[in-house]
Amino acid sequence: MLWIERQRYFIDFALSSLMRRWRKNIALVIVYTLVVFILASIVFFTQAIKREACTVLEGSPDIIVQRLVAGRQDLIPARYADELRKITGVSEVRGRLWAYYFDPASSANYTVISTERPGRDEGCVLMGQGVARSMHAGKGDLIAIRGHDGSYQSFEVKDTFSSGSELVSADLIEMSGKDFRGLFGIQEAYFTDITMKVRNAQERTVVSRKVLNILPDTRPILRDEILRTYETAFAWRSGILLIIFTGSILAFLIFAWDKATSLSIEEKREIGILKAIGWDTGEVIVLKSWEGLIISLSSFLAGIIFAYIHVFFASSTIFEPVLKGWAVVYPRFRLVPSIDPYQITTLLFLTVLPYTIATIIPSWIASAIEPDSAMRL
Amino acid sequence: MIKLTNVTKVFNKNRPNEFTAVRNVDLEISGSSITVFKGPSGSGKTTLLSLIGCMTKPTTGRIYIREEEISSLSDRFLTDIRRKTFGFIFQGLNLIRGITALENVMLPGYPTGETNCILRGKAIHLLASLNIAHKAESKVELLSGGEAQRIAIARALINEPAIIIADEPTAHLDTRLSIDFMDNMEKLKNSGKKILLASHDPLVYASEIVDRIIEMRDGLITKEQA
Repeated sequence: MLWIERQRYFIDFALSSLMRRWRKNIALVIVYTLVVFILASIVFFTQAIKREACTVLEGSPDIIVQRLVAGRQDLIPARYADELRKITGVSEVRGRLWAYYFDPASSANYTVISTERPGRDEGCVLMGQGVARSMHAGKGDLIAIRGHDGSYQSFEVKDTFSSGSELVSADLIEMSGKDFRGLFGIQEAYFTDITMKVRNAQERTVVSRKVLNILPDTRPILRDEILRTYETAFAWRSGILLIIFTGSILAFLIFAWDKATSLSIEEKREIGILKAIGWDTGEVIVLKSWEGLIISLSSFLAGIIFAYIHVFFASSTIFEPVLKGWAVVYPRFRLVPSIDPYQITTLLFLTVLPYTIATIIPSWIASAIEPDSAMRL
Repeated sequence: MIKLTNVTKVFNKNRPNEFTAVRNVDLEISGSSITVFKGPSGSGKTTLLSLIGCMTKPTTGRIYIREEEISSLSDRFLTDIRRKTFGFIFQGLNLIRGITALENVMLPGYPTGETNCILRGKAIHLLASLNIAHKAESKVELLSGGEAQRIAIARALINEPAIIIADEPTAHLDTRLSIDFMDNMEKLKNSGKKILLASHDPLVYASEIVDRIIEMRDGLITKEQA
């Protein structure tokens, strides 16, 4: 109780000290918040998009087999699927139909897929939230899609996807196989690519090698390779942003160091008074630590909250072109809000701790002198 | 009881600007009384009060407070003694600007961890006894010299010290306020406090309530009057 009461007094007095020097402290809080905001936005965005990528890949096949003709991806014959089924250890082989579709009206790229789910109505589509937003279409509306022969075909929107990850479904239009083949002019004997599932995850590489042996004109892509590509792409992008902002972060460090490590005559005098009226060095340091903590924690919280809103509710407007890269031409998608305690802790240690320590040093030096000397300042 | 034996204080020792502020002082002060240290500026009055008040350590010699030898104690223990035993009224008053009179008075009590209710009650009671309770919520920079002086007295008393130390307390006060100050000192003396004043103001050292006058010059005690 005694300890709590003491800390309450120290916090009260620290707050009143900060208020007395509000000009200096407001400037510090603004710059501090801005730096935390930048750092947190980059971390939140990179992590969120990696998480989304993992979610996408969770349900994806172990191996995707594409056909290459003169190094270019081409349609794959349906009979290749029969060859692939013969490989030992393969549990499932399916042909896939998908294509990118550029809609000039909304200037966006969509991914059109076909699933052979039973009951998929012809002339109807399901669409992602991103497509619905950019096409201004909803359940029951009719949309027109231009086919391979230049004619427009209309489809009724049967529903929109409600997925845990918008990245999975934002740009997706799903239709029946017959509609898809009709729209893109693909014959029954072909698929876009073929997916495979392997019973034993350890054997994916071996199976992939066997695919190449049996069908040399194909390219098997492992799920792990896709995941690695995502990670590299977004780690690289966040690195670029960090380099861009290193200058401002350094400027902040110099600013914060200057503010934190220099005490004004008034502050030194106050420390002298506190010591003379019975405070010891430790108590002065506790007081100054509270001051540092209040500044750094409030800036940290504000920075984190602004970054959270910026990334998860404002689609990272400020850093979007750098972070999303080519994905900005896709329909806009919103990242699913989530916070990783590990990231928060890392950011906390990188921002709050150094500043708090920096504030203690000059106070410790100032309060270590005899109160008699302090009083003569 | 306060006892000093052969106390010397040297500032900036072994430097070109070495300066001896107090030389070989032997002194004993006992009972509830008012003792005035009189002398010109630079005579060592303030340094001697700082030594007695545990605000600085002697270069040589020993200081005893209530039979306990304090000159060799660590800063932590000295702070504890200073907090519990002494109340200080400084020449420039040294109130903290930007906070209220009440907060200034409560300030020495913060590290003790006394509950807010009790500490606040004590502070208001002290302000009331010095007829300044109506200014409790005023910022100290808005107070007059006399009002600020009474706030400083209240702050010196908040931890219920046995000894009050005041350095040139009337230096910035007019005659009427100086008399008021001495009246307050008399009240404190009557309540059992020991009071040590450093002053060269005749209104202080010539006051009837003063029990003992110690004259200083060049760091030495040159004369004593009871």
